[in-house]
Amino acid sequence: MRLPLSGIGASRGMVLGRARLEQPSRYLIDERPLDETAIDAELERLRLAIEAAREELETLRSRLQGAMAREAAEFLDAHALMLADRELTAGIYELIRTGRHRASAAVKLQRDRLVAVFEQMDDPYLRGRKEDIDHVLSRVQANLARESSAEERRLAARVGEILVSDTVAPSELVPLAEHGALGVVLTSGSAVSHSAILARSLRLPMIVAAHDALASIQDDDLILMDGESGEAVVHPTAQDLARYRSWQRETAHQAKRLALLRDTDTRTRDGVAIALHANAESPADVAQARNLGAVGIGLYRTEFLFLQRHEIPDEDEQFLAYRDLVLGMQGRPVTIRTLDLGADKGDASGLALDAEENPALGVRGVRLSLRRPQLLVTQLRAILRASAYGPVRILVPMVSAAEEMASVRRLLGESARDLRTAGYEIAENLELGAMIEVPAAAIALAGMVHLVDFVAIGTNDLVQYTLAVDRNNDQLAHLYDPLHPAVLKLIAQIIQVAGRHGLRVTLCGEMAGDRRYTALLLALGLTDFSMHPGQLLEIRETINGLDRAALRGHAPALLRAPTRERISRVLRRLGIGI
Amino acid sequence: MLERDITITNRLGLHARASAKLVQALHEFQSSATIVCRGKEVNAKSIMGVMMLAAGLGTPLTLRTDGVDEEAAMQAMVELFERKFDEGA
Repeated sequence: MRLPLSGIGASRGMVLGRARLEQPSRYLIDERPLDETAIDAELERLRLAIEAAREELETLRSRLQGAMAREAAEFLDAHALMLADRELTAGIYELIRTGRHRASAAVKLQRDRLVAVFEQMDDPYLRGRKEDIDHVLSRVQANLARESSAEERRLAARVGEILVSDTVAPSELVPLAEHGALGVVLTSGSAVSHSAILARSLRLPMIVAAHDALASIQDDDLILMDGESGEAVVHPTAQDLARYRSWQRETAHQAKRLALLRDTDTRTRDGVAIALHANAESPADVAQARNLGAVGIGLYRTEFLFLQRHEIPDEDEQFLAYRDLVLGMQGRPVTIRTLDLGADKGDASGLALDAEENPALGVRGVRLSLRRPQLLVTQLRAILRASAYGPVRILVPMVSAAEEMASVRRLLGESARDLRTAGYEIAENLELGAMIEVPAAAIALAGMVHLVDFVAIGTNDLVQYTLAVDRNNDQLAHLYDPLHPAVLKLIAQIIQVAGRHGLRVTLCGEMAGDRRYTALLLALGLTDFSMHPGQLLEIRETINGLDRAALRGHAPALLRAPTRERISRVLRRLGIGI
Repeated sequence: MLERDITITNRLGLHARASAKLVQALHEFQSSATIVCRGKEVNAKSIMGVMMLAAGLGTPLTLRTDGVDEEAAMQAMVELFERKFDEGA
């Protein structure tokens, strides 16, 4: 019988697959007492299972890369330490040795014992950490349950499956996707959890908070899930399947259409060339950007060079990273942003940042760079040296006043002179730009145009600072809205002032890669977009279908609209639902 | 033997990742390290021990180190608490 379920869409995509239920208690627990002669063998089985679980964690850790790597690695480290901790494992060995329990039963008893302690905790966050116990011990259980060749069978069995569980660890998602799982339905979780973010970057459809899923789905039930709407159907009907097939056709067409756009220009219907750049932080991003026809790297984040380590990368190390980036883009321009760290993400960076009451308004970006000129000079020298290998621009984050750009420009000039004196080959007149993400800089932009060669708009922070809404605060998510009239006015003003002084403007926040905002940004006069490489083709397709001159004609109406609702209404009249 | 009183100031308290950082930081020292919390005493080099303290924001703790490099071990522990485990919260 058809059974609809609903949760929250966390990672888009529609898939049809067989359900595979997974929960900590799903492993077969053998409760029969152990024969005395079998104790040693059982202890050895447990030791091997724990060892195998640790190796799995290590393998997972070594394969991590990209934006989520650092956080996922911290979880994996914690889990590996737990497995190595005698306070966790000694009790299990003891249950086998003196309690005559089989290994699986001993692991379960230890789990129940520890979870009971966590459940007594007052602090809701710490109480929730019993999840860590479950993740770790179910990994051991999985290894106990596995016969010699069962590994491959278990993995093969993933093909065509939709995982249904209460929760899934970020570290489990990568192997799930690699082994052919189609999607994930969880009874708990949120769309902003680590797992959800990772699922989106893996393009693995996910529904969270589908509370009834475990209770109403059985192993091998056929499920149709839609990770965009958050709806799932157990035992789909012919009608559901028809809907799925039409979705598949549409997606296949879209993929084909987009693939054709790889090597084409980005041009509006009325013939205006639009430049699509890519944001990048890893070698994989750079390769993807080049393959999908980005005109350049519009924003290269240098933070990853500084994170997850205890010393500051020296000039040579930075130079090699920047040079490889420039070589990787084969002559297409690369915009390198100087260090954009603050107290909120200064983890283990070797920078020893002081904790701050309010890191979003604290010593971050150019403020940090100017307080530690040596740090900035090292970075500027490394970038200047890389400029011998291809076109490079430098972008300065978190600028709020002209004086800051004057200081950076002075240090850049001195660094270039020193390098030339020392005999280094470097490019003439490297372009220096300001990232406009603080409202003060947007409002007073005319006062710094003589100090910059180009401008980049960072909408993520511009929205947060203009609206005074912390973008990580779930409670305020509804207020974090790029369609606020104040945000549109600032963006329009930046584009206008920069244009009047002959400066190019790139927009590189989330807005740039979200097709719902493309027409709006064209209307406001934007011609340079920079986005995650995965979004390039979709945005190119969107732009190719729009008429810029006609959109420009609606700019006054958009900027006059006094509320979000009225802005949406103007956009709807242009055929854009938002 | 050294002893220091300290209060937890990171928002999430001694959860798994913070505990892991503490255990990893102490790994290189020979001295024993202990945390005393509400009369409970645990080995600070054991992630399970530290997690089971259920020490959240604002919990007062006593840190104790004992051994040849007790000073350096204490300093490493105190720094980590003062840096709020690099969580910036």
